[in-house]
Amino acid sequence: MSDPVLTTDAGQVAAGPPPAPGRFRRLSDRGLAVAFISPALLLLLAMSVFPLLWALYLSFTDYSATRGGRAYFVGFGNYTAILTSAQVHQRALTTLIYVVGAVTLQTVLGFTIAYLISRRTHGRGLLTTLFLVPMMLSPVVVGLFWRFMLDAQFGVINSMLGSLGLGQVEWLTRQRTALISLIVVDTWQWTPFIMLIALAGLTAVPKYLYEAASIDRASEWFRFRTITLPLVWPLLLIAVLFRAIEAFRLFDLVYILTNGGPGVSTETLSFHVYKVAFLGFNTGTASAYGILMVLVVIVLSQIYLRYLNRLKEG
Amino acid sequence: MQLATVAMLLVATTVAACGDGGDDDATASAPKAPATIPELTTDPLTLSFIWFDWPPAQALEAFANAEYKKERPNATIKVNTVPNANWHDAMFTQFAARKTDFDIAILDSQHIGEAVTNGNILDITDFVKNNIDVEAYNPYLLAAYGQFPQAETGQRDENASLYGLPLLGDTWTMIYRKDLIGDQPPQTWDEMISVAEKCQADNPGVSGLAFHQANGSDAAAVTYNTVNGVYGGNLWDPKTRKIDGILNDAAGHEAMDVLVNKMKPLTARGSGNWFIDEVNAAVAQGKACIAFNWIAASGGLLDPKESTLGSTREQILDKLGFATLPSQKTNLVPLGGMGMHVSAYSAEANQVEALNFMKWFQRADIQKKWAAAGGVPSRTDALASPEFLNAGPFNQVYADSVPRMRDMWNVPEYARLVDIENTNVNAALNGAKSPKAALDDIAKEQQSVLDSSSRRGGGGL
Repeated sequence: MSDPVLTTDAGQVAAGPPPAPGRFRRLSDRGLAVAFISPALLLLLAMSVFPLLWALYLSFTDYSATRGGRAYFVGFGNYTAILTSAQVHQRALTTLIYVVGAVTLQTVLGFTIAYLISRRTHGRGLLTTLFLVPMMLSPVVVGLFWRFMLDAQFGVINSMLGSLGLGQVEWLTRQRTALISLIVVDTWQWTPFIMLIALAGLTAVPKYLYEAASIDRASEWFRFRTITLPLVWPLLLIAVLFRAIEAFRLFDLVYILTNGGPGVSTETLSFHVYKVAFLGFNTGTASAYGILMVLVVIVLSQIYLRYLNRLKEG
Repeated sequence: MQLATVAMLLVATTVAACGDGGDDDATASAPKAPATIPELTTDPLTLSFIWFDWPPAQALEAFANAEYKKERPNATIKVNTVPNANWHDAMFTQFAARKTDFDIAILDSQHIGEAVTNGNILDITDFVKNNIDVEAYNPYLLAAYGQFPQAETGQRDENASLYGLPLLGDTWTMIYRKDLIGDQPPQTWDEMISVAEKCQADNPGVSGLAFHQANGSDAAAVTYNTVNGVYGGNLWDPKTRKIDGILNDAAGHEAMDVLVNKMKPLTARGSGNWFIDEVNAAVAQGKACIAFNWIAASGGLLDPKESTLGSTREQILDKLGFATLPSQKTNLVPLGGMGMHVSAYSAEANQVEALNFMKWFQRADIQKKWAAAGGVPSRTDALASPEFLNAGPFNQVYADSVPRMRDMWNVPEYARLVDIENTNVNAALNGAKSPKAALDDIAKEQQSVLDSSSRRGGGGL
């Protein structure tokens, strides 16, 4: 036998007896919302906001995690040292070359692959899945896998070049090829990400636009330039933003493939922060370094997002 | 309004947390271990080590579980390993957290300074006095693996504090192809280069030399330090803490020139990131006339399953010879190996067990058994014992090399100093920097680290 159905003054239907008088009666919708949200909010504050504030505080001190002891205030000393350091400038340039190179290559390739897949009617799902495999692998696995592939003596890439009558290339131990190798490996792993987002954009383009264009006997290139690209472009730019932020933080591939070498020629900002933080345990300096990197990403992202918004409004 | 309150609360919490920084005195020096071993537990106990992943780590775990359990059946030995490049970080990040999942840290000799000044390991001076016969050891080895500050002479200072005891001795051995260059190994460095050059020319596909050049750990740095020592150079002046002007003096530049312009052209293409495993692989596959590697990592070369040089150990030994490093202006060789050090943050029962293990491990009979199991001892009696000398063809090389050893700087700034040297030597070996610029940069940057270590703020880049 079911509970009697009650009707409130407002005409709403409520099941079961009214709530017992007590503290729960006073729990408003807002209170309920706070009760549900606060555990997650507290966790977020403890795991994310607090460490950020802690790092911000440490960035103004000479604190060392291993040495322990008191953290002495050094003002903007750490920030000044980082911003005026020739070593940091060199790592920033390396990172910039890497980000621009890798993201450009991934965008061009990712969009091209997505465009070609989107034109297929058969096997699109299978092809998409196959192309996504590299993205699903751990960067450590990818790094080790490519380290063996690119080995100058025993690697399969040089072996293939040899069988084609071409000479051996020192992929990971020469200044230019080492950075190119990093870009290529990162492109191999993350082109599918751009491809996936571009594919989503391409499949969302209304078909009637193409139909109208074909009635007008518009060329393939005209259709691409005036229909496909403008409609997919905003989505593609968001994918570029995500990839650029990720690439800016590159650490794992550098660590495994080149260890920053030869010398420091592939040492990115993230890898350098790691060295400052864990080789010298200069926690204060490393914190300032990290804060500056976050600021750079935030500022550049904001500029980029404003451009995106203008594009959307336009 | 509410957001502002939350933000203020967070800032207040942060500032309050920062105030609890502890005091400097608490971490100024290492805590002392008891002079005598307190009562041991009879409860089941796991004694954990931390080391990097290489054959001696597996040998230690197997040996200790087989032998130590005979006396302490309740104790299990676990040797946790990490990749070599992560070894320092794995230990010192745990030290930074003031909590370790290991009881015994196997520290490189140069790590001792950092661990001692941060208070991460126990001061075992009194324990050693009461439990260990220090006269049984080669004094240089005992000092290298346990003493801090390092004696300027490199010999043990009887009044200095001890923080560790030897676990595994090591140095470089020259591995040469008897079938390609003859039974007699080259005696001087110049002769070695000539022999390697001729061997490479006579044997297409085989490189004259194979040695450590990698960017990580201390790979390229040890290579340069070895050549520097052989050509009469010095790494620094420990009295004045001067590196600039000493490392990059005429002898230093000559050593860098020999390494980059004479030795590097005799190595395989793309070997600029080679370390222990890659050098061993080149030897085992018959791709190198002469190679240099740590003795403790050379055992696998005699394994027919891993070698193309023969189907039995004897066949491989017909082709491979092991010799002490050639000399030139001096006969110095690099000191390798490590000591055992008790974590200051380990549970008390485990610290006590660790001390007992160390006392047991240093016994003469156990050191001989350890030698027979593949270990490299530091006691002079074990070094001269047939158990050690007959255990491997390179063990005599180690025994002969002991009086010739030279270590690096045993200072708290070691990790940064070695990184500077490693990246710059690696850059010179791979054409990213000229040899002269690389050496001058090392000297300048290392000097800056030493000079700024006592200053506050803005350092560490």
